[in-house]
Amino acid sequence: MRQIFYLVRQNLKRKPFRAWMMIGGIVLACATLFVAAILSRGIQSTLQTARERLGADIVVVPADAREEALSALISGSPTSFFMPSSLEEKVRTAPGVQQTCSQVYLRSLDAACCVAQVALVGYDPVRDFTINPWVLQKTSEPLQANQLVVGAKVISALVGTPAKAIGQRLMFMGKPFSVATILEPTGLGTDYTVFLHMDMAYQMTQGSPLYPVPVKKDQISTILIKVADGMAPETVAANIEKNIPELKALTSNQLTRSFSRQLQDLVDVLFVAGGLFSLLALVLVGNLFALSVRQRMRELGLFRAMGARRSVIFQLIILEALCIAGAGGLLGVLIGFSVIWFGKDIITEMIGNMYMWPGNPYFLKAVLLTMAAALVTGILGGLYPACRISSLEPYEAIRKGE
Amino acid sequence: MIQVEALSKDYKSVRVLQGINWAIEDGAFVIVTGRSGGGKTTLLSIVGGLTRPDAGRVLIDDTDIWQLSEPDLAALRNEKLGFVFQFPSLIPTLSVLDNVLLPIAFGDKSPNLEDLKFATSLLEMVGISGKDGQYPAQLSGGQQRRAAIARAMIKRPAIILADEPTGDLDEKTEAEIMDLFQSINGQGTTIVMVTHALDYAKIGKTYTLKDSHLFPYEDSEASPRDLTRGGELRHDA
Ligand SMILES: Nc1ncnc2c1ncn2[C@@H]1O[C@H](COP(=O)(O)OP(=O)(O)O)[C@@H](O)[C@H]1O
Ligand SMILES: [Mg+2]
Repeated sequence: MRQIFYLVRQNLKRKPFRAWMMIGGIVLACATLFVAAILSRGIQSTLQTARERLGADIVVVPADAREEALSALISGSPTSFFMPSSLEEKVRTAPGVQQTCSQVYLRSLDAACCVAQVALVGYDPVRDFTINPWVLQKTSEPLQANQLVVGAKVISALVGTPAKAIGQRLMFMGKPFSVATILEPTGLGTDYTVFLHMDMAYQMTQGSPLYPVPVKKDQISTILIKVADGMAPETVAANIEKNIPELKALTSNQLTRSFSRQLQDLVDVLFVAGGLFSLLALVLVGNLFALSVRQRMRELGLFRAMGARRSVIFQLIILEALCIAGAGGLLGVLIGFSVIWFGKDIITEMIGNMYMWPGNPYFLKAVLLTMAAALVTGILGGLYPACRISSLEPYEAIRKGE
Repeated sequence: MIQVEALSKDYKSVRVLQGINWAIEDGAFVIVTGRSGGGKTTLLSIVGGLTRPDAGRVLIDDTDIWQLSEPDLAALRNEKLGFVFQFPSLIPTLSVLDNVLLPIAFGDKSPNLEDLKFATSLLEMVGISGKDGQYPAQLSGGQQRRAAIARAMIKRPAIILADEPTGDLDEKTEAEIMDLFQSINGQGTTIVMVTHALDYAKIGKTYTLKDSHLFPYEDSEASPRDLTRGGELRHDA
């Protein structure tokens, strides 16, 4: 076996350009697939986390304010839209609904502070199950009327570094508040949202130049739903839309998918490209090995004459293919890893600044899978030439070789 | 002892060898001549286990080599036979010494110190000592052929099959290589050689291959029919 390795090594040195071309093809395929696999897994865990942080399985909004509501939910644009609070009761009794709560979305005065785009959302610190669990994790007390919960991205603009933010007093729409806590990033509109006590929200619209008619307590903007165990949010949402036509029910899947679409598109492109590159690498390796074997035909026939068994010739070719594939796979993983490493800021930005990297076990799995793909490519590429040459009679090989 | 019985070989519709009977004693020096394209290489390849005959048998030391399994036949080539070809046959990526040691590697054994010493002594014997570390491209055609002869001898084969080993060499080199083969034969190795260099026909028993049949050289002017009809053509050297 050591002898065979030596022969393979010496032969690889003979045509370094050809060897590097094959390695290059495999590197391209492997790096692309590796990056795609890591990003794809990352998107999955990011969406999972985003859904958990969103806290609701379904967000119900007024059907006629669908566009505004979506832009508020997804990017935190400060808008107002309302529906009668009586609808919450209807939604609560819809099949598959376990729990509901409501929130009210208000526009803030830009001038009130230095942030241009801040949505102001009132929530019920007692009944809410979406942001409240996160708030209660950090503060032991439910939110007071003069306190704010601030989205992850509002904070730097509003009060500086997160460490300094908590407990900080600040004037908001002419009233003094203190920051109770800061939310984790979700990639959704909540990152640009300031949450406050629902009662306070209604109160603030009185006398506000933005709201000539104050918002009354029987007006709400969104109804948040937790579905019963075992119920598919999609089914429950469809049912609500059917039975209450004035409502639009958005599932957490729909919402989170929207903000990951850009990166998901990239990953899809990468997978397709990786597949094509793999095919290309296979064709490249197959052809170059066929060429190499044709050029070495006499030599391989001579090996047989010297007593090399058919299987030894086969091993020589396959081992050479495996060496090239292994080198290509290893380099591919390395390059893929560097691309991810150096591109991580861009990637994170593409997915709402909350991209979750897969854990080490998945990285390891991706490395192994990529290597396996490379080796399979090598074996498949070398297989046909190896079979062909080793099935020839030694005399044929010697005679046909130039 | 090599025994060839009723050997025939066609390429598609072309008859190359027909009903060849032949016996070669151990230690003989046998020369085969004949016109180009007459089937000499084919005959040598069948005897050497490189291409399968259409009919007939080849017995080497009473083993029917074409009944052997592929690995066993490979082992037989490795252990009992040495080949010298009519074209440069050294592996360009290996040093001269590695080339000579190659048949050892194919015998599934790493070359040991003894093999190394033997290889060096063979290179000395064929007259290219000191070229061990060089690569084939650095050697002249004659030196390459000498190295190939050393390689054919590394496993101490009982038989060396040489197919026009001097065909592409100048006369002086040819004479030297022929001397070399004679001295190898002098040490007891059977040599079966295809050559056009009939000046050397006196070295041993000479045959000519003509019209798919093998004749003793001196009988070569006779009609092939007369001989084959008479039954077996058998010449023991
Ligand atoms: N593999 C082959 N396929 C077809 N024809 C062949 C093959 N090998 C040899 N021949 C033909 O068989 C004849 C004998 O060839 P060969 O044994 O090489 O003759 P020699 O060595 O006497 O010149 C030639 O006509 C040659 O073209
Ligand atoms: Mg010939």
